[in-house]
Amino acid sequence: MTSYALLFTLSAIGISETVYLIRTRIASEKPVCPIGGGCALVLTSKYNKIFIVPNDILGLLFYVAASFISAFLVIGVGPLVLWDFILKLSVVFGTILSLFFTYLQWRVIHAWCFWCLMSAFTIWFMGAIILVSSLI
Amino acid sequence: MKKTSFHFLRVGLAITFLWIGVLIFKNPEAWGGYLQPWAAGLLPIPLAQAMIGTAILDIAIGVFLLFDFLPWLAALVGAIHILIVLAVSGITDITVRDIGLLVAALALMIDSLPQDKRC
Repeated sequence: MTSYALLFTLSAIGISETVYLIRTRIASEKPVCPIGGGCALVLTSKYNKIFIVPNDILGLLFYVAASFISAFLVIGVGPLVLWDFILKLSVVFGTILSLFFTYLQWRVIHAWCFWCLMSAFTIWFMGAIILVSSLI
Repeated sequence: MKKTSFHFLRVGLAITFLWIGVLIFKNPEAWGGYLQPWAAGLLPIPLAQAMIGTAILDIAIGVFLLFDFLPWLAALVGAIHILIVLAVSGITDITVRDIGLLVAALALMIDSLPQDKRC
């Protein structure tokens, strides 16, 4: 249950990050950018959406789904095997997508976005927790 | 309170309320065991149902805080909720933790009050 508690906590942190980004985008405000200074450049680049869905919305959906699934797994709401598989699959997918977005910031946009990196590290940490918990 | 510290406190308290809600959902009867007999006797509904209601309230407070939606109201309800918990569970080894949560909720409520509601 410890790993699910950590996954739930990280999902909640991810929700708060993405909600902040969605709010600033809707209000047409520049987000606070404590490190890097390239948040506005990255967030308004042509890579800020997949098809027509903004990345912050996709992130929020991912984190909400991950928090629900973690809660279901703790409470024991079935089908547990399927939830566990979906959680692992989505975190693997999110990890790969975050690697791609980090590459874009590094090599293509040439700017670093604090919030994007924080979200990437949140997902990578989730991946590490799943990996470690399946090994022990 | 500085804006950054406010958000740290808001998200931290949100996670606490959400996780406690999830844990109560997992085992409502066990959490009901913390109630003093006199308080359990006052309940008009079965203990398990009352604890499920508590879990829903905890999760609602957590969601409001996490989404930064009416944080002053969520913190106020959270503080009243913790006060009731302190009253009905009696003084135990973990009472001090509830006092910390109570004061944190009060601080959050005071800091997020709308300007027209401030003293």
